[in-house]
Amino acid sequence: MEKNLMERGSEMLTRETIRQFILSELISDDSRVDLTDTVQLIDSGVIDSFGIMSLLGFLEENFSIQISGDDLVPENFASISTISDFVSQKSC
Amino acid sequence: MVLELTDEQKIWRETLVAFSRQELDYDMTAYEKGDLFPWEAWRKCAEMQILAQPFPEEYGGGGVDFMTTMISLNALGYACKDAGLVHAIATQILCGLQILHFGSERLKQRYLPLLCRGEKVFAQAITEPGSGSDALSMRTSATKKRDTYILSGSKTFITNGPIADVVIVFAVSDPEKKSLGGISCLVVEDGMKGFEKCRPLKKMGLSTLQNGELFFDNCVVAFEQLLGKEGQGAIIFNESMEWERSLLPAAHLGTMERILEISVTYAKERHAFKKPIGSYQSVANKLSSMKMNLELGKGILYRCAALKDNRKRAALDASICKLFISESLKQACLDAVQIHGGYGYMSEYEIERDLRDSIAATIYSGTSELQHNIIARFLGV
Repeated sequence: MEKNLMERGSEMLTRETIRQFILSELISDDSRVDLTDTVQLIDSGVIDSFGIMSLLGFLEENFSIQISGDDLVPENFASISTISDFVSQKSC
Repeated sequence: MVLELTDEQKIWRETLVAFSRQELDYDMTAYEKGDLFPWEAWRKCAEMQILAQPFPEEYGGGGVDFMTTMISLNALGYACKDAGLVHAIATQILCGLQILHFGSERLKQRYLPLLCRGEKVFAQAITEPGSGSDALSMRTSATKKRDTYILSGSKTFITNGPIADVVIVFAVSDPEKKSLGGISCLVVEDGMKGFEKCRPLKKMGLSTLQNGELFFDNCVVAFEQLLGKEGQGAIIFNESMEWERSLLPAAHLGTMERILEISVTYAKERHAFKKPIGSYQSVANKLSSMKMNLELGKGILYRCAALKDNRKRAALDASICKLFISESLKQACLDAVQIHGGYGYMSEYEIERDLRDSIAATIYSGTSELQHNIIARFLGV
């Protein structure tokens, strides 16, 4: 089903919030600005085993969700796009 | 967030303190000399349901919250002089928490009742000869072959390892991936072909705690022994560290309280130049620092427990907790030896044992240096 304007706006906002967090907190090299929605964050080393701890804390706090057990799989945090989808799904 | 103990929790702590003084007050000398594990004490703790505390009743657990579990370890750290036994118990509980939170129903039913009753000893195998604090750079491999994993490699310093019946082994299941996604956890049982345990390593302290090497030589592990999902190892490791870096400091804080009490008593009784040594500022300052660290430690410890009980993330808090309390304990032990002078240096007074034990606290479960790194990463630097 096609998403309405509100849903698309909210999704964009979520992605932007996540992107800003990653850029400001997880990437020490500030020259890296080409962080598109599909960049593979784990494979490229943007999110490592330390970074995932910060990211999980941020997502739980910022989006008022709980992440545990089966949710805690790397696939959910592979890119801004998958993180955003995961957050939307948990927020429902 | 309530950071106070309930009346029930206070009573439970008093009960465990009395239990420890009555049942766990064995002469440590013989155990220390032979690096022996105190099996009788282990069984008594199991009968007291200490190992079973945070697990649901359906698996034979006590069904209590994380705060109460922490209080139990705190009480043992305070009243039981055998820090090795307390550490072994904490490790057993941590393994159970991993199985409870990530294991399949089959794994939970198979292992948790045995773990709660203390009938089987559990260990988690992470550290390797070439990877300590950088734990996830491990080399032990878990190669998929049909419906099994072939485990190959070695682990070292593994707590409970030499006496373990069940080991949660962290291994690389996909070398192409980074540690996040490339590491998996397998539950291995003693007696499996290709799995070998070595005798305990001799240590500076924590003599009764059994630490040793584990070897896996093409050990075939059934797919159903996978803990969590494939590639979930690094995340399970992180989760586990949140519990570990709260439970172990709980025991350390108990020990710190005992050290403070002993030191205050001695500072009042011992005279020098016709005055109690506690009346000298250089001694009193050591005692007031101990008290300050004890109270500050309590604050961060209770916060960690409350976060976990509220199903919130506590990675940063747990690192602060572990770093602050372990370093405070080491300093408290050093100061206690100093306050006791020559007597403090003698084995008979037992403080020197606490000092030796305390040094390990700043090394295991991530060194103090690593905790600083984690805290810095949370600051975005």
